[in-house]
Order: sequence, then structure tokens, then C-alpha cells
Amino acid sequence: MENKKKFYFDVKWLFIIAIVGFLLVFQVFPLVYLLIRAFFAEGSFSLDAFTRIYSTSMNWSCVLNTLITASLSMVFGVLIAFPLAFLVGRTNLYGRKLFRTLFLMTYMVPPYVGAMAWLRLLNPKVGTLNVFLESIFGLSEAPFDIYSIGGLVWVLTTFYYPYAFITLSRAMENMDPSLEEASRISGASPVKMLFTVTLPLMLPSIASSALLVFVAAASCYGIPSIIGAPAKIYTITTRIVDYVYVGSAEGLTDATVLAVFLMVLALVILFISNFVIGKRDYITISGKSVRPNTVDLGKWRIPLTILTGLFAVVVIVIPFASVFATSFTVNMGKSVFEEGNFTIKYWETIFSRNSIVKSAGNSLISSVWAASLGMIVCIIMAYLLKRTNVRGRSIPDFLITVGSGTPSVVIALSLIMTMSGRFGINIYNTIWIMVIAYMIKYMLMGMRSVVSALSRVSPSLEEAAQVSGAGWLRRLKDVVFPLIGPSVVAGWFLIFMPCFYELTMSNMLYSDKTKSLGVDLFLYQTYHSQQTAAALAGAILILVAVLNIVLSKLTKGKFSI
Amino acid sequence: MSVITLDHVTKKFGDSVVVNDISDEFRDGEFITLLGPSGCGKTTMLRMIAGFEKPTSGEIRIDGKVVSSADTFVPPEKRELGMVFQSYAVWPHLNVFANVAYPLKIRKVPKAEIKEKVEKVLEAVHLSQYAKRMPSELSGGQQQRVALARALVAEPKVLLLDEPLSNLDAKLRERMRFEIKEIQARLGINVVYVTHDQGEAMTMSDRVFVINSGVLQQVGTPVEIYRKPENQFVADFVGKVNFLKGVSENGKIKLDGIDGTLDYSGEITGAVDVAVRPENIRISEENAHFRGKLLSEYFTGDTNDCRITAGGNELRMITDAATYKHFSDSETIGLYITDFIVFPASDSDFRKIMT
Ligand SMILES: Nc1ncnc2c1ncn2[C@@H]1O[C@H](COP(=O)(O)OP(=O)(O)OP(=O)(O)O)[C@@H](O)[C@H]1O
Ligand SMILES: [Mg+2]
Repeated sequence: MENKKKFYFDVKWLFIIAIVGFLLVFQVFPLVYLLIRAFFAEGSFSLDAFTRIYSTSMNWSCVLNTLITASLSMVFGVLIAFPLAFLVGRTNLYGRKLFRTLFLMTYMVPPYVGAMAWLRLLNPKVGTLNVFLESIFGLSEAPFDIYSIGGLVWVLTTFYYPYAFITLSRAMENMDPSLEEASRISGASPVKMLFTVTLPLMLPSIASSALLVFVAAASCYGIPSIIGAPAKIYTITTRIVDYVYVGSAEGLTDATVLAVFLMVLALVILFISNFVIGKRDYITISGKSVRPNTVDLGKWRIPLTILTGLFAVVVIVIPFASVFATSFTVNMGKSVFEEGNFTIKYWETIFSRNSIVKSAGNSLISSVWAASLGMIVCIIMAYLLKRTNVRGRSIPDFLITVGSGTPSVVIALSLIMTMSGRFGINIYNTIWIMVIAYMIKYMLMGMRSVVSALSRVSPSLEEAAQVSGAGWLRRLKDVVFPLIGPSVVAGWFLIFMPCFYELTMSNMLYSDKTKSLGVDLFLYQTYHSQQTAAALAGAILILVAVLNIVLSKLTKGKFSI
Repeated sequence: MSVITLDHVTKKFGDSVVVNDISDEFRDGEFITLLGPSGCGKTTMLRMIAGFEKPTSGEIRIDGKVVSSADTFVPPEKRELGMVFQSYAVWPHLNVFANVAYPLKIRKVPKAEIKEKVEKVLEAVHLSQYAKRMPSELSGGQQQRVALARALVAEPKVLLLDEPLSNLDAKLRERMRFEIKEIQARLGINVVYVTHDQGEAMTMSDRVFVINSGVLQQVGTPVEIYRKPENQFVADFVGKVNFLKGVSENGKIKLDGIDGTLDYSGEITGAVDVAVRPENIRISEENAHFRGKLLSEYFTGDTNDCRITAGGNELRMITDAATYKHFSDSETIGLYITDFIVFPASDSDFRKIMT
């Protein structure tokens, strides 16, 4: 008996060691190397690189641009998300379900698609929306210019407010409604209640959702590269990629130093939001299911519904529609509805041109690998975390959280620096470097999905199998898998989807043979044909929508994201 | 001190009627308990009085002023009530003092007066030394008292309590019962108390409202409810009871399958249900109404809890502890009924109504 126990113990350790080893080699080591490299560029400790980087005004301005755009997006994102989360989650607004789906959908759409759409709409010369507004109000010049800090902030905000929306909705729905009722019965009006009870209780969630938006906006590459670059507005991310393209030793050092700044910023914020704010979070999920009391909007019901609808139209419907419209347009200077300006040739192109089909194939292969390997890691880790008390079981969980919090450019850069032969591993120019980058960045989604499923399955179900003599691997196969199956599938898709159209890391890691769909789309958008890019983006949007529906059917509405 | 009037109050959620046409008046300084099985509509009733739900039809008045009706609705914050929620709803972001001071702050009471009043009410609930604590540092019972203090501090006319003691251990529950009752008596306020614990209802109330599936079954003092239940449901829900079928004729009740009759001076004739409380059955050879066979007995310390079968009916008898092991199992013994209640026979199995 004694021996047998020991044997089980060892197997679990083997798994932990394998996973931790993988993360150490491909995540921790590269990131640490990056840090060291930033300070020891010439073999001995020196801040030269730092001084050089931060003394050129070019770099300073990109740091400033990043901080400004990310801060503004954070403020606007929360200002938008809070009322939306309240209206959709807690009131009798019409069409709440539809609105929720719409707002969440943006979350799964690659941000560069939004950038493309807004570029098309708000180009100062030919932007569709600009032209439209000019003709309606008889303006002499375009009311909006997307090529500006303001334009950048606008697109970042419209793409990252869903992050805050998700967090805030969850918090609002989990709050015990009697906390608010107690305020009403004490004599507070609904407005007074909002300011003395609801808002203070939500403060931790508001803070962490704000930080989430900040980090996401600061780490974003797709939007600033599509909108910022033509406007000569550089951010840390676009600057890093430029340096990497330069490729010289000095270029890499400069990229490293900028990356370290971004990484430290992101990880400090991750730490604050997980460990400082997380501890003060009042809204804990009680065992009892609370029946969220809905606020009757009364005479405001229709006006607020219209307002919310308008927001959804401007931020979601118009941009997506414009992407589709672009993909059918012959002459970009004219409307798609004009005589002879409609074509489906770009859609034919994306399904027939060899290079595009090949890129799609590459993306499919690498993201299937990333999702599958990622889920294996996630399942084992979630199981060890939730079902055993093996020591060190939370180390991989921690590392996975850190990995996903690290900006994509930083992950890619660290892999370039360490995995191209210098330390005995050379996977540069293969799909594996992408698979690994994808896993590091997106495994957390799968992990969350499995962990939450496991928390809902009572351990006694497994204990029953254990009593029947099943070992832990056997139990995993016979009992756990069948029960958490849907969540595993959901987790798989949650990793697969962002990898499939990933741009930032792919753009830094691809070679001629491993070009991915996101890179192809980006190249078409920037250099060759915006219509082809739009058709590709349209195809991706459809795929996302379809997978979403499948996912939500599969998991009975629990996961759609 | 005030009067709450319910005038044909009905509440529906969709198609299901949760409160069905209830009318009554809660009088000055009364301690009213709403008693009924889970899901019968007690919380809904309370929430309508508080103003968190609007009645589907009917009218609610407080001190003659309409607060809910077809065309008037006074929101909760204007009703000047105090309420303790089942979950306490003590705000986790405020300390004990700030929690309790909140209703006064809303009413813009001067600072010095707030301090004085809060200290007084905290003393009343024995929490003076905890004023600076955060709710997360308090036990469940202490949080419950914070909620009570908060409900009382603005001296409301009416105190609404929704199963405020359900999460406490038996000892603390008993003490809190006593404290609530004492505070109510001292301040002379109305209390509307929701519970499904009949012991709680019995010991605290001036009047008990027994509700089943949203329908008011009986209103009365605890003694009336227990001794003179108006229907089988009330008899069954309040206290323990044995039901026997029988026929009432000429001042006598013949019990089905039992060799013996009960003397009956009431007006109900024909087929009847006879309710006999276990403690109203005695062992007596000379005065026996009928005889039964002892199936089993359980010693509970102060009583002897017996199962008896008589003519196909299984009866429960709770009698003097001294009788324990006096008879052997399966022995036939004489039984004497000291008190019973008679209802016209009903086919419906009212026990099943309970959810
Ligand atoms: N907002 C609501 N929407 C739909 N049904 C509701 C709503 N609130 C209550 N109900 C239903 O009304 C019935 C009465 O509910 P209520 O909460 O008043 O019961 P209760 O007597 O307080 O029960 P308990 O003792 O379990 O607290 C229940 O069947 C419940 O499911
Ligand atoms: Mg209730």
C-alpha cells in the first residue's frame, strides 16, 4: 500500500516537472534573459542602453504616446463599460441579451480589423463616415481625422472596453441585491444608493478592469501599427517591431530595453490587480444564487434603449459593415453601391490565391497545435490545482497567468533572442516558435475554462471511482473528462481562435515558409490591396461568429465568449 | 407606531399567483409573524410592504396613507421603515459605525446627534466595543445585530424582519429572539416577522398569519392558532398532529376502523377529520376511548414518544416519561383522548400542499 501511494505521488510530480520545465525553458528563461540583456548588453552591467534609448526624443515620444493612449483608452473604456454593464445586467432595458452578445463579440474580433474599419470610415480625405457627415452638415472639411492620437484612442477604446464590460458585468451580477435594498430602505434614493453603496462596492472591480484595459491597450500592436504608423505616431510596440526588423545588434538591444519597460509595466499592473486589489474585493460569490433585482428604468427605458442601440450601431455595426462593404468595392474612392463598383473578386481571391491559402493552412496548423498542446497542459494543471494538494501545484498556474499578462511583442522578442540557436535550441523560422509563443500568450483562457468546470464537479464523483479502484489517471479518463468535456472543448476554441488570426507575435516570428493569416492580412492592408485584406477580415469575422454560435450551443450557453 | 393596512393584496409573477388576495390590518405596536412553508410567499409579502415589489392588484396603506395601489407607489426610501434582510446585507466597505449611521446620514442628521444615536443603538444590541470593526471581522451573529441596529437607528415606525435568525446556532437564536422582543417592547414599534420556524412564531408573536401557497389560512394569537386551527393545514403545520377519519352523529364521533366513540358537542355532522395532538393522548385503562397496540417507544428524556396502531390508523403519542418500558412491545393498551379538533372531511391531502 505504502509503495503504491508513493508511486502516484511521483507520477504527479513528473507532470508538474514536465510542465514547469517547459514553461521555464520557453517562458521564464527568455523573459529573464531579456531583462539581463537589457542591463548587460556588453557583458558587464551598464545602463548605457537605457540612457541611449530614453534620451532620444523619438523613443521618449513613443513611451509617452503609449502611456497617453493607454491611459485615455482606460478612462474612456471604463466610462463606457460601467453604464453599459449596468444597463445590460441590472435594468429592464429592451434587448439586453442581444446587446450583451454584441458587446462581448468585439472581444473575440482581432483588433486590427477594427483599425482597418475605422481607417476606412474616418480617413480625413475619403473616409466614408467623414464624407457622409460632410455632405449632411455641409462641412468644408472632414470632421474627424483617424490619423491622430485621438483616432488611435478612439479605436483602442472601442476594442478594449469589452474587457472592462466583462469584468464589471460579472461583478454586478454577483453582488447581493439586498446590499442595495438595505440602502433604499434606509432612505436613500436610487442615485444616492448608486454613489454610496453600488459604486464603492464595485470599486475594486472597476480598478482591476481599468488596469486590464490599460495593459491591453499599451500592449496592442495591430491598432497602432495600422493607424499610428501612417500618422507617424509611434508606440512602444510598433517601435520594438521596427527595431527587430532593423535586425542589427544595437537594434535588438534597443528593442530589448523598450520591451523590458513594457514588460515591467504590465507585470507590475498584473500584480497589483491580482494581489492588491483582488484581496480587497468585496464581491465574493455566495453559495446562494442571488436573484439580481432589476432596476425599472421607467420613462427612461425607451430613450436609454435607443442610446445603447445607437452606441452599438456606431461602435460595432458600422465598422463591421464597412469591412464587408470594402471587401466588395472595386474603386475605394466610391461607394460600393454605385453602378459597377460591386465585385466579388476579392472573395474569390482569398479562397484561390495560393499564398493566401497556404498562410491560412499555416495558421490552422500552428493554432491547432497550440490549442491542443495548450489544453493538455491546462487540463493536467487544472486537475492538479483543484483536486490534489501536491506541493508546487500552483507554480504553473502562476506562470501561465504571468505569460498571458506579458505583452505579445515582449514574448516574441524574448523567443527571437533565445531560441535561434544561441542556447542550443533553434526553432526560429519554424512553426514551433509560433506554437510556443501562442501557448504562452493564450493558455490562460483554456486554463480558466477548465478550472471553473472542475470547481463545479463535486469531488465525490471521483471519489466514487477511486473507491472502485481506479487510479488517478484512470479517474481522469473515466470520470473527469466526460464531465468537463464541454468546457475542454470551449477552452480549446478559446485558445484556437486568437491564435488563428494572431498578428503581433506572428509578425515578428514568421519566415517565408511560415507566414500566417494575420501577417498576410496585415501585409495586404498596408501594401497591396485593402479590399483583399477586408475580404480576409470578413472571413475571419464570419468564422468567429460561427465558432461562437457552435460554442454556445455546445456548452448550453455557458461559454460563448 | 403605526397601522399597516393590506387591502386585497395580490401578487403574481407571470402566471403564478404568489400572494392571493390578502386583507388585514397590522395594528399599533403589534408583533406580527408571517408563518408558512418555504415558497409560500412570505418574503414577497414583506417586500411588498417595504416597496421592493409592487402588488399586482390591491392596496397597501401605512397610517392611512396609500403607499402601493393601482396608481400610487411610494418607493422604499420614502416609507420610513426598518428592515433586516435574510442575508443581513451589512455593507462590507463600511465599518460597523458607518453602517449603522447610514440611515441618519441620508436624513442629514447633525454629526453630533448621529454619534449619540448610533452609540445608543449599538449599546442596545451589545456591540458598543465593535464600532470600529469592519463587517468581515465580525461573526454571523454580530453582523446580524449590526443589521438590526441599522434598521432601528432611525426609529422607524415599522420593523420588517425576514428570517433574521435562520443562520444562527440554536443558542444564539434563542438569545436574539429575546433581544428582538425586548427592543420591540421598549420602543413600542410594529414588527412584521417572517419565519418558517413555528417555535419562533409561537414565542414572539402577538398574532400569527399562517400562509400556504399565497393564501391566508388563519390569523390569530399563537394560542388560537394552536388550539383552534381553522383547517387541516393549520393544524398540521403548527405543531404535531394525528388525523383520524370518522363520522359525527348525535353528539358522538365514530372513528373509522376503531372500536369506540368520542363525545362531541360541536356542530359539524357527517364525515369528519379528527385532529388529535400527540400530547393529548393518554394511557388509561379505566377511561379508555379505544384500545391500540404499542408499536415502538422512544425515550426523549422528559417524554416518552410512542407509535401506536389502532384499527389501521397509526398514531403518535407523546406522554409521561415515567411510562417508558412500562409496557412490552405489541402490548395492547387503553387510550384516552383529552382534546381533539374536528373538521369537515376533506379529500385533498393537505400535507402534500407543503413544498
Ligand atoms: N422575482 C420573482 N420572479 C418569479 N418568481 C418569484 C419571484 N420572487 C418570488 N418568486 C416565487 O414566488 C414564490 C414565493 O416566494 P417567496 O420568496 O415569497 O417565498 P417564501 O415564503 O419567502 O419562501 P422561503 O421560506 O423559502 O424564503 C416562490 O415560488 C418563488 O419561486
Ligand atoms: Mg423568504
